[in-house]
Order: sequence, then C-alpha cells, then structure tokens
Amino acid sequence: MKMHKIAEVEVQHDIMVANRKLARKNQKMLDNNQVYAVDVVGAIGSGKTTLIEALIDSMDYNIGVIAGDVISKYDAGRFENHEVPVVGLNTGKECHLDAHLVEHAFHDLPLGDIDLLFIENVGNLICPVDFELGSHMRMVVISVTEGDDTVEKHPLIFKDADLVVINKVDLADAVGADSDKMVSDVKQLNPDVQVIKTSLKTEKGFDEVKKAIEIFINENS
Amino acid sequence: MHELSMAEAIVETVLDVAEKNDAQEIVEVTIEVGELTMLNPEQVKFLLGVLAEDTLLEGAEIIIEEVPVEIKCRSCEFTGLANTDGSDHYLAIVLCPKCDERNVEILKGRECNVKTIKIEKSDENA
Repeated sequence: MKMHKIAEVEVQHDIMVANRKLARKNQKMLDNNQVYAVDVVGAIGSGKTTLIEALIDSMDYNIGVIAGDVISKYDAGRFENHEVPVVGLNTGKECHLDAHLVEHAFHDLPLGDIDLLFIENVGNLICPVDFELGSHMRMVVISVTEGDDTVEKHPLIFKDADLVVINKVDLADAVGADSDKMVSDVKQLNPDVQVIKTSLKTEKGFDEVKKAIEIFINENS
Repeated sequence: MHELSMAEAIVETVLDVAEKNDAQEIVEVTIEVGELTMLNPEQVKFLLGVLAEDTLLEGAEIIIEEVPVEIKCRSCEFTGLANTDGSDHYLAIVLCPKCDERNVEILKGRECNVKTIKIEKSDENA
C-alpha cells in the first residue's frame, strides 16, 4: 500500500541573487562590447529624459539608449529624434526594469557601435532599488518640485547611488523647497557621493554632470 | 507593485523544486524577506495565494521570516545588527549602533530567499 509522507526540502534560492547574477552577465556582455552603461533612475517628471537628451547632444561618445517605462514609446520617440539607437522597453504593470528585461533589449541594440549606453529606468524611487541591471554606474535624478523631503523618504536609492542630480533648482523658491537640505540629506546617507544641483532649463550644473560621468567612464577603462 | 513579479518568481522556484522532488502537494513554504527590501510581506503573501490557485502550491501555508538588517561600520569596524526600531528605515541604514557613524555597509536585510518547502509525496517504502 502506498503511504504519504511529508518531506522538507532545502531550497535556498534567493530571487534577488538570481537577478544579481543576470545583472553580472549583462555587465560582462557590455564589457565584451566595450560599452559603458549608466542606469538612470529617479522620480517621475524629475528630468531624466531631458537630461539624457542633453547628454546625447553634448557628449563625444557613440551613445545608445534603453528607454524603460510603463509605456515606453513616448520617451523612446524623444531619443530617436537625436538620431541614436534606441530600444523601448515596456514594463506594463511593472514599476522597474530588471536584469532580464535589459538583457532582451541588448539583442535589439547595435552594441558593437555603442560606447556609452543610458538605461532610463521607470520613474520610481522605490522599486528599482531591489534590481541591479548590470550597469556600471547608477545616477539618481530628482527635482526640487517633488518636495525637499524626497531624500529622507526614499533613503535606499540614494545609499546605492554613484551620482545624484537635484534638478529644477531654479524653481526651488516657487515651490518652497530647500535644495541645500536635499544635498545634505543625500550626504548623510552616502557621504562620498557627488551631488550636483542643476537646472536643465538654464543649463546650471549640466557641465558638472557631464564631467562627472566622463570621470566614471575614464576610471573604468 | 513589484511584489507581483517577485511572487511570480517565488512560485516558479517553488513549483520547480516541488516537481523535481515528486511532490503531490506542497504543504508549507518558508521565505526569508530582508527588512530593507522594498517588499511588503503581506502583499507577497496575498499574491502568492492568488498565483497558487490550481497549482501544487494551492492551500500551502506561507511563512515569511523577516531578516533583520546587519551592517559593517566602515568607521569603527563594528559588525552586527543595525540599530533599528523597525519603524524608521532611515536610521537602520545610516547609523552604526556602536559609534553612531553613518558610513556603513549593508551585509544582510536585502534578501528574498525561498528557504525551504514542505511537500507531501508518496512513500514508496511504506
């Protein structure tokens, strides 16, 4: 007669580690093609797309873009106007890119012709924290219009950041935000990170961002 | 809402292991979730219940163990549990409980680990 028994099975499979492993694989693929990748994360409407557009126009690299969004065609269309290779990644119900999605996008990009890849993440300061993509650096973009308590409320994304941009500082007075407080909040979480105040409208701070990214690229090569 | 994609990955992992072990039913699943992940354990649990329908996982007890934050202080070399009261993430990742410095490295608290499953299987030797 067949009996049933209960057995305990050790699984020990960490979903986060699985994503991290994929991210490492992505980075290897980028390195093999001599592509430096910047993961651009930040709040909705903070200026991520505008910043990348300005970098495309002013940086002396062969640039490519992965535009991740819930519906990506709007941002992808903007990048296409700058005549760079673009892949739009629709995340649909998801609030972040993950390493698996990014790996798919690689297949649609001429990686051999690109030396700097911007991966624009979904506008969100929470979910992307848990998902590395395989990029070489992570730039976090926020703006004063989200409120000067944004950093305090979303500490982890700043803890992991390699470069932080606080945009729209020309509007700080109008919205009653203290941009210096935002800088010092970031510094409390991540003492060594460079924090740059910008206004992409007046171009304040833009050259600094460009230079900071160039330094990261040169340090990597 | 990335609880859904995480829950999908958990279900995939659990069903895969259960099938490989010839499970007829999954009785219990234990998952470790780090306190610093952006995952809400209650939401994960709810979604696992939804995704489990019509699978071996249906009806299984889901146990979520929260993993506390462990840090290594770069200033005083302290290694161990971070100073957190559970209500303020901010403190947990900035302050060393020993020297109050902010320059800390996070060692634990960011996992989403399927630890064990309990399965029911036929006992051929019985």
